[in-house]
Amino acid sequence: MADAARAQGTGENGRANFSALLGLAPILLFLVVFLVGPIWVNLLESLKEPGGAQGLAQYGRIFFDSYYLTVIAQTLIFGFVVTALCILLGYPLGFAVARAQGTAKALLMLVVVTPLMVNVVVRSFGWMVILGGSGALNAGLTALGLPKLELMYNWTGVTIAMVHVLLPFMVLSVASTLEMLDRRIEEAAAVLGAPPARIFWHVTLPLSIEGIVTGGILVFTLAIGSFVTVLLLGKTSTMVLPLLIYQQLTTSSDWPFAAAMGITLLVIVSLTLWAQSWLHPRAMRARR
Amino acid sequence: MKAMPRLLVLYSAAMSVFLLAPVLVVVVAAFTAGDFIMFPPGGFSLRWFDHVLRDSEFIRPLWNSVRLGVMATVASGLLAIPAALALVRGAIPGRRWIETFLLAPLSLPTIILAVGLLFFTARVGLSSSFTSLLAGHVIITVPYMLRTVLGVYAGMNREIEDAARVLGADGWRTAWYVTLPMIRPGIVAGAIFAFLMSFDEVAVALLLTNADTTTLPVSILSYLVYNYDPAVAAISTIQIAIVVAALLILERFFGIRNVMFASR
Repeated sequence: MADAARAQGTGENGRANFSALLGLAPILLFLVVFLVGPIWVNLLESLKEPGGAQGLAQYGRIFFDSYYLTVIAQTLIFGFVVTALCILLGYPLGFAVARAQGTAKALLMLVVVTPLMVNVVVRSFGWMVILGGSGALNAGLTALGLPKLELMYNWTGVTIAMVHVLLPFMVLSVASTLEMLDRRIEEAAAVLGAPPARIFWHVTLPLSIEGIVTGGILVFTLAIGSFVTVLLLGKTSTMVLPLLIYQQLTTSSDWPFAAAMGITLLVIVSLTLWAQSWLHPRAMRARR
Repeated sequence: MKAMPRLLVLYSAAMSVFLLAPVLVVVVAAFTAGDFIMFPPGGFSLRWFDHVLRDSEFIRPLWNSVRLGVMATVASGLLAIPAALALVRGAIPGRRWIETFLLAPLSLPTIILAVGLLFFTARVGLSSSFTSLLAGHVIITVPYMLRTVLGVYAGMNREIEDAARVLGADGWRTAWYVTLPMIRPGIVAGAIFAFLMSFDEVAVALLLTNADTTTLPVSILSYLVYNYDPAVAAISTIQIAIVVAALLILERFFGIRNVMFASR
């Protein structure tokens, strides 16, 4: 009915469209200049060749060199491992957030969101304090007469810290999907005699696949795109693509090469997001 | 309503410890009386806070971060609120595509944005990198503002606006006196969110700041590369305190749950 009122008279409609355009113009202009512009400049920069010519030489340097291919492979494997761990650890917690009531729910929510908002540098520093050679964890182990663990400057430490950084995204994604789930479907299964484990496996889990997919894609793209945690907790052998880009810019000042790696990372992220739009309809179909 | 399985309660408690541990150790390490970060800490003292609060190496970046965060928040409000109103109200062709484009920065790794802005600054010949820094932060914060405002506005009873129009108010008056007050919770939540996102941002700031414009996360990061002492724990604790204060304000006015879920 409101729509009918709004559609009355074409003059009114034209004015509404004009003011809508006026509202959207600044943000669109801003994003074109400061988002599309820089990515475009990045692309142009990556096509620069040493002699001043234009071409794909920079990309050749990446894709015909075993070191850079290894770094790309490491980045992807790291992304998959972090995503898998976030799904395994985050699903039950997201379930708990969705099903908790009252104060317990508010507290859990605060526990999940607070680390998310604390700076990633500070959180990585926190893990340095815990995992370091004379850190809190090793101090505890020594006090108990146990041998020390090597947890920093290797993949273990980087993975622990990265899972910690990205876990809240997974938990929130799963929790919000489970909150929208119609509990009567589960009750119907219970009435029909299904035991709790069976209800979870055949009803709840399939109905929350969408939250897992959304959260998983988000965690994966963030994991392969961040470098601060790896910079602080890793060493030269735990190299990932975004950290390499940062180092190319700051230490070797090889801009065209850094630009080519940036475009490579952008293509990987875009392919991941494209996979999401491809998985999404399937997840929706699975719900039915 | 059945109680939660005991196993799930235990698991949630264990994961809470995991999630809070790195934040808590930093706070504990900051209150040490000793010269080193160690466990158990050597006595209780506020000396490292005193040290940090007198040190311009930390105080200037802290002030820079607050200023940059406020500027980015105001700018993203000015860009996002009219856009959100236009998206919900106007019959715009290709609305889905526009919305996807506007929210695109959310899925863009910040290192790519940072690198692009660095090249862009050099090529366009911007005299100061601060313009690019602010622009980069606005690109990161504006989708959060847009999502919360869109979420609140879409769930609002729009017939009140129609009533104002029928009673003779023009489009601008309706927007100012009816729509804006109704979406205020969304604006407040979006603003706090946007501020926190800017306050926490590292990649863009790392590449686009200089000694005068450096932000708090960048200065903590560069300090950490060469030093490892309780001073960095103290300044980190101050950062955590600011974030927790912002979150408590958010919880009081809006409910963290609503923001996190509405802003998906």
